[in-house]
Amino acid sequence: MNFGQFISYIASGTVYTVGVTLVALPSGLLIGTILALLYVYGGKTAARLMNLYSTIFRGVPPIVLLFILFFAVSKGINLSAFWAGSFSLGIVSSAYQMEIVRGALLSVSGDQLMAARAIGLSRLQAIRYVVLPQAIRLAIPPWSNEAAIIIKDSSLVYALGVPEILRRAQLIGASSQKYLLAYLSAAVIYFLLVFATSHLLSLLEKRLAIPSNP
Amino acid sequence: MKKHFLLVAALVLVAAMLVGCTSEKSSLLDKIQKDKKVIVGTSADYPPYEFIDEAGNKTGFDIELMEEIAKRMGVELEWVDMPFDSLVAAVNSGKLDMSISCFNYDEERDKTVDFSEAYYTTEDAFVVNSTFTGTIVNPEDVANYKVGVQSGTVQDSWLTDNLVTPGLLPEANLSRYERVDQAALDLANNRIEVLMADYVPVQALVAQNPDLQVVFHAELSTGPINIVLPDGDAELKAEVDRIIKELQAEGFIDQLAVKYFSE
Repeated sequence: MNFGQFISYIASGTVYTVGVTLVALPSGLLIGTILALLYVYGGKTAARLMNLYSTIFRGVPPIVLLFILFFAVSKGINLSAFWAGSFSLGIVSSAYQMEIVRGALLSVSGDQLMAARAIGLSRLQAIRYVVLPQAIRLAIPPWSNEAAIIIKDSSLVYALGVPEILRRAQLIGASSQKYLLAYLSAAVIYFLLVFATSHLLSLLEKRLAIPSNP
Repeated sequence: MKKHFLLVAALVLVAAMLVGCTSEKSSLLDKIQKDKKVIVGTSADYPPYEFIDEAGNKTGFDIELMEEIAKRMGVELEWVDMPFDSLVAAVNSGKLDMSISCFNYDEERDKTVDFSEAYYTTEDAFVVNSTFTGTIVNPEDVANYKVGVQSGTVQDSWLTDNLVTPGLLPEANLSRYERVDQAALDLANNRIEVLMADYVPVQALVAQNPDLQVVFHAELSTGPINIVLPDGDAELKAEVDRIIKELQAEGFIDQLAVKYFSE
């Protein structure tokens, strides 16, 4: 096997790595944002429930949740390894993303909500048009951190047999006995993925920056 | 309201799991023959039993054997690659119809899954680095050294039951690896002194690493290797056993052994 075949075998796992990330990250964002809004504006009971949710899912290692979802829960609901893995990572990530969005929402001064109400916006409108747009901007830097973590954590789905980058490095390392090269190749691919994502997000951050707000 | 919703969701989930459990009572063989497809798991990182070739396709002793078994069942074969540790759980939870991955019979495993008739017999080997100065005359002698083993294997059970539990080998001196090649790497780097593993794949490993050598081999923990089948499915087991016996009688398995192990 020549070097090109070796690398391309490992690199073809990128499809799964990106696939898992593209399911886990947006679903985590959607759930996380909704839960963060409930946490901050939903009253005491909601806050308590959200706190419980965050404590549980930040306290469980993603791989444990992965095994539960794939081997136990999906006995009844037939989830494939890919979806079981992606959803588990999405759920864990939603707890972290909820905390990111919550932090961002709380960073926007409470006076703004009051001022928006004073000029006649409803509470929902004030959150939607005044607080949320500012909070999203504040959330981008910590969120790019979360994106990097999910890209790397997507390697956990190898345990369920999804042929992503890490699993392919293991297989080709075993058959060729070139482990160092296999794992180094995997490391470089992960690095490039994370690097590109961080770069794109920092561009987004600059583009969305409010001019008068340095 | 929200609490109610959670309660209902939890009940639905439990109900779905119960339905899933009860509907699996009939033989898988019917399902396999109806779908004309058998889903088989393997951990393709264990040459020469199962590994990938230059084109990235699965090959090896187990792979070719299973392909012949599927052919004789008259069904298509769908391979699922999975790390070794996950295979038994996957058969147990119905994700796989069966698994072939150089499985030795093991009492612990037998509690959750069934085993086919043995299709081959293997031995254990102790491997050392060329810098090793100790001696291993009896298998128990390895208790004096730092030992490495693949976790979850029968070798792991043998070391644990015969050396660690009686107090001969301190737990700290036994390193468990996810895969045998990781252990070989640590052996080459002198992080462990002795590696215990299956004799056949170890020969391939030693052939590729001139620094390593086999100092002892015998049937200790290993022995017959079998296909792992779902628990209590007598019909499926009968069919797989019938084909294994047929292949043994025809000399098909011996030919495979010559091809992959050059015995």
